[in-house]
Order: sequence, then structure tokens, then C-alpha cells
Amino acid sequence: MSTRTPNAEVSEAVVSALLDCLIPAAGNLPSAGNMGLATEVIRLAGGQPRFWGLFTRAIATFNSTNSEFVKLTGDDQDLAIRSFEVDHPDLFGALLDISYIVYYKDPRVHERIGWEGKPPQPDGNVMTPWDESVLDSARKREPFWRRV
Amino acid sequence: MTNKDRTTERDGETVDILVIGAGASGGAASAWLAEAGFDVMCLEQGFWQDASKYASASPDYEFEMMTNWAIDPNVRQRAEDYPVNVSESPVTPVMFNGVGGSTILWSAHTPRFHPSDFRVKTLDGVADDWPITYDELEEYYDLNDEVMGCSGISGDPANPPRSPRQMPPLPIGDDGMRLVNAFEKLGWHWWPSDSYINSQRYGEGRDACNFCGHNHMGCYQRAKSSTDLTYWPRALRSGAVIKTGARVRRITTDAAGRATGADYIDSKGQERHQSARAVIMAANGIGTPRLLLNSASDSHPEGLANSSGLVGKNLMFHPFAMITGVFPEKMNSWRGPLSNFAMSQEFYETDRSRGFVRGYTYQFQRSLGPAWVARGGFTDPIPWGQGHHEELEKRLGSMMGMAVIGEDLPELHNTVDLDPELTDSDGIPAPRIRYTLSQNSRDQLDHAIANAKKVFETAGASDIYVDPMMQQSGWHLMGTARMGNDPAGSVVNRWGQTHDVDNLFIIDGSIFVTGAAVNPTPTIQALALRTADHIVAERADLKGRAR
Ligand SMILES: Cc1cc2nc3c(=O)[nH]c(=O)nc-3n(C[C@H](O)[C@H](O)[C@H](O)COP(=O)(O)OP(=O)(O)OC[C@H]3O[C@@H](n4cnc5c(N)ncnc54)[C@H](O)[C@@H]3O)c2cc1C
Repeated sequence: MSTRTPNAEVSEAVVSALLDCLIPAAGNLPSAGNMGLATEVIRLAGGQPRFWGLFTRAIATFNSTNSEFVKLTGDDQDLAIRSFEVDHPDLFGALLDISYIVYYKDPRVHERIGWEGKPPQPDGNVMTPWDESVLDSARKREPFWRRV
Repeated sequence: MTNKDRTTERDGETVDILVIGAGASGGAASAWLAEAGFDVMCLEQGFWQDASKYASASPDYEFEMMTNWAIDPNVRQRAEDYPVNVSESPVTPVMFNGVGGSTILWSAHTPRFHPSDFRVKTLDGVADDWPITYDELEEYYDLNDEVMGCSGISGDPANPPRSPRQMPPLPIGDDGMRLVNAFEKLGWHWWPSDSYINSQRYGEGRDACNFCGHNHMGCYQRAKSSTDLTYWPRALRSGAVIKTGARVRRITTDAAGRATGADYIDSKGQERHQSARAVIMAANGIGTPRLLLNSASDSHPEGLANSSGLVGKNLMFHPFAMITGVFPEKMNSWRGPLSNFAMSQEFYETDRSRGFVRGYTYQFQRSLGPAWVARGGFTDPIPWGQGHHEELEKRLGSMMGMAVIGEDLPELHNTVDLDPELTDSDGIPAPRIRYTLSQNSRDQLDHAIANAKKVFETAGASDIYVDPMMQQSGWHLMGTARMGNDPAGSVVNRWGQTHDVDNLFIIDGSIFVTGAAVNPTPTIQALALRTADHIVAERADLKGRAR
């Protein structure tokens, strides 16, 4: 299946194969592509025109030298990605960023890593309240700012 | 009634004071002047923000932080942003354009300059002294703390005594205590940070911080102070008007060279002119020189107020290094504001035996959630493929940082000028940055990195990562229209009034003579209040009608 956009065609199969290499299986979870995250990667990448441009360029550039990527073995796929990373660090960086972001917002991953998995707001977090006794020692120091 | 409803169209009338930019300094001066009865209008290219829509409540907050809410305008690319050519700078300027300006995305870490910062020439033989002293600014620092709301505690031995803070410090946390204890073991100074983040309810409808960690995306709780929440409501109540979506193209002048107002493009794309008795520039250390240079005219051929040739020169960032330590224990270090709990000024003042002049502050840092950690946080991303999961497990909740803010001295070759080709969406020339890090700054950073490693080792970190100079760290924009007594060697006088144009003032970080080694905004706002106070006291001629 492929997702059509005004700018480019992004193959979900390629994105999925990339995800499988970037984020392998862990615990009871399969690799990121096999978790079905490619659709969400493509959707979210469209959340900003600039990023979408970078993302589609990354995929197109990758495809241009790796047209048979999905058919390669795991080791060869890794090699292809490593050489893309070296040749196009910015484009690769965009792919890695969106892959990590989508993976680490998935509830299944939250459960595996023990992360509470809610947005930072509105609940926030709880902290031990301020305790002035932490200053007992710092307060003993004589003023040392430079007089003018 | 929302703030937006209060914005009224008043084209045609001459206002007393036209403020360009509704950020940290523009908000402070507008409130002060409106409350003193001046007829104030502000032109702001951006818009009001709705705190309840900040990205921190979105499930896609990590993506939003990297794109639509990025701190770099070249990445964010909203219609109200202007591009900045950074191809000749290792540091990228970061900012936000909207009501509140960069205080929408800032960390709100708010130390003050030291008295010595105003006297670097006399004390250390470098750069120049300011034409004002710490003592002259102190009452305005206090005033600003009160309006913005400061959490902190007085008694810091590295700084002169100061008034009681409005709220107690933000909690240090068990994670923070790891760093604090290491500083104490080494016998080095540390102190809870002054922060314009509420540790209790304070101000109009502003809650206490709930420690979500993501204050740099805009504060959903309104616990972090930003001028849309503090100064602007006051200014509007006193009759000031903000025009949003109003992008200023140039400051206009008459045949005698005095400022007459500004040409701007309104939110519908219409070219307009607003006339004024005086103009105050508050568009920040990049936006202000850009506009002054774009306002060249027959009477100001090299750019407005630029007879000294110093508009756009002496650009200072604070060179920023980041040292990250990973600890063997889980400390839940995503809890609490990312960069606001404590600092050290052990190495702040000059000690020539260190091999450089001036010094630096350490600003203690936490970390954030899993995607942020995987993407590296303040260091390189976690490796992909084999080993990824183990490394994430090691770092998540266990990473702390120390940011180094070094004092960058002014150098003529560090500049903002107009790019010959790049423009914003209205065709106004974009700023171009040319910047190189001086050897003195590099030596400061290297010294700081070596000492930060000692701290992390003492604290028991298992791994230490160093970013010797962060690229996206141009958050402090200073020096590009410096203050001074000599019109040949400075752009504004001790009151922020330009030497060349008696009814043109500058109140943002452009006017800094030197940058000190602390975050600059309390100083920017104190200077803005001082200039406003001066206008109230001395410039009744700028008031058109009794109010
Ligand atoms: C991510 C981040 C973190 C930061 N953290 C801290 C911190 O912890 N402590 C600290 O002290 N400082 C911090 N800063 C810096 C702080 O935000 C700035 O020092 C401060 O906001 C500068 O105030 P200003 O009034 O000079 O400019 P700004 O607040 O940047 O406001 C300038 C305004 O002018 C407007 N403008 C510009 N050009 C035009 C034009 N042509 N027409 C109309 N309007 C225009 C802009 O849209 C903007 O709203 C941080 C900044 C960022 C981005």
C-alpha cells in the first residue's frame, strides 16, 4: 500500500522495513515496522509542511539508491541504512527522529518500558516539596561576589 | 473579554509611543508608559497564544516540539516568523514571534548581572564599561521581579544581597540533589535558581508549576511567566493597544531625520502606516538591527540611528556547552522544569590563572521523556538497531545536564546585517548572521567542560557526554545597538535613546554593552522599565493629550 500526498508518494512497505531495522524487537514486542507503525509515521510526518518535505526527500533519496531495499536480508538492509546515514546525515536524522517519536508514543511501548505514557499536561508530575535545609552548608559561605 | 477583543483598529491617529515588538521588553515598557498616561500602540508581527492549546497536552507533543513549536524560526516556519541566514554562524538564533515574544518559549531562568559585569573594562581591561551601574538598575530588577513573579531565595553568596523573592524556590528534587551534593563535596558554590516560574499561585490567574517539565513549549498552567500573562494585561487595561499580525517594514522619518512612525503590513497583507510621536524598538537583538538597517533614508543613509556604524555589530550570544551525565540509578529526572532548579557561579568572576578573562555560570538541567532521550536530549541520539533498547533503558530517567553559559565579549566582526537575497514572506530582507567564537570564549567553555566532568564523576555518573558548543543555542541576542556615552562609539545613550534620533529608543538586548555570563532577560526588562521611567519623567513633550 502507498500513501499519496500532494508532494510525493511514500511507500509504507519501505517505511516499515526501515522501522524494523531502526528499532528491533524487544521483550514481547516485535520490531517497529512489524508493530504496524509505518502508517502513523507517515501521518505524523505530514503534521508540518517543512518536515513533510524533509521526510519525503529522505525517502526519495533513500529509494534512489536502494530500490530493492525491502527484498534485502537484514544485514544488507542495515548496511544500506548505515551508508545513507553517512551520506545524508540530515535526511537520515529526520527519519530517525520521526521513527523514535512514533515508537515512543505507542501505548504498547509505554507498557514495556514502564512509562506512564500521558502527555505532560494537564496532570504534570509530583515532586518532593522545597526544603530550605538543603541550604545549610551553602549559606555558610562568605559573600564572594566582586565589589566594584 | 479576551485580550483579542480589546484590540481596536486606530489607524490614522498619531499615538504618543509606538512600540515595535510585544515580547519581554516591549511588554514591560508598554505597561509602564500606558499606566503613566501615554497613548501606547504596539505593532507585533505574531499573535496571541492560547495557553490551553499549548502542545504539552497533545499526544503528539514530541513531534510538535520538533516542528510547529520548535525554538528555531527556520524550523518552525510559521507565517509570522522571518527566516534568518545562519550559513556563516556556528550558533543559530532562536526566538518566538508573538505576543509575549520569546518569553512564550523561554525557560524563565532569571539570574541578574553582577556589579562587575557593568565594569569589565575597568576591572579586566576588555570590551567596555557600561554607562550605568548595577546600583542604578537594582530598583528596576526588583520591580520586574514583582510583576513577572520570582521563585527563589535571597542570601546567595555569589551575588549582592537582594529583596525577598516573591515565592520560595522550585523544588530541587532527588535528581537535583545528586548534582548539589557533588558541588558541595567539591567545595564549589551552588544556589537555587531565581526563576520566573510560580512555585505557588501568583499573579493574575496563574497557577503553581505542576512540574510537567515542558515549559519551553509554552506553559499550559500559566505558571511560567511570559509577558502576555503579566505586563500585557496591565498595559491593555491602561489603554495600550496591540496590533497583532502587523509586521513592521521600516521606521519612517521626516526631513529632519526624526522618527514619525512605522510602515507595516497588516494581517490582511495591506501596507499601512502608523504615525507616532516616538518609536521604541523592542524587536530583539536580531529584529531591531534588521529593522534599523532596513530604515535607511536620505537623512540616515547607513540605516537609522547608525552614524556610529555600530548597528548590527558586536553581536553576542552566550556560548553554550552542554555536559550530560548518565547515572546508574533511576531518578525520574523528567519531573520538574527542565532547566530551572539551581546554578553555580563558582567560576563567574575573572581569575587570570585560568587562562581567560571573565567567566561562566553552570545552569543545572534535567531530562525529559523517552522520545526526547532516544533522540539524544542534549547529546547524540541513542544508536539505532542492535543495542538501542538497552541504551534507552540505561538513560531514561537517569540523565542530568549542566549547561555552561560563558561570557561572550563584543567583537565587531560578529554581525547582523541584511541578507542580499533572502526575504520574509512580505519581501522584507531577512537578517544574516556572521559569527565566530573567540578564543577566550572557547577557553572558558573548555575550562567549564573539564570542571563539569569532575562534578559528574563526583556525583557518580557512569557515562558523560559533551556537546562542546550547542548549535541551537542562540537564545540570548545581545549587543547589536550598544549603549554608551560617546555617540561615535555607541548607538544609544544611558537611557536607551538613540544618539542620532531624539524620539527613537531601543530597549531590547541590542543595547547591551557586554553580555555577562547569565541569562539576560531580567536585565533586558529592567532596562526597558528604566527607559520607560525616564520617558515618563523627562519627555512630557511626547504626550499628545492629557489622559
Ligand atoms: C527557547 C528559549 C529559552 C530561553 N530561556 C531563557 C531563560 O531561561 N532566561 C532568560 O533570561 N532568557 C531566556 N531566553 C531569552 C529570552 O526569551 C529573551 O532574552 C527575551 O524574550 C528577549 O526579549 P525582547 O523583548 O528583546 O525580544 P522578544 O521577546 O524576542 O520579542 C521580540 C518581539 O518583536 C517582534 N518583532 C520582531 N520583528 C518585528 C517586526 N518587523 N514587526 C513586528 N514585530 C516584530 C517579534 O515577533 C517578537 O514578538 C530564552 C529564549 C528562548 C527562545
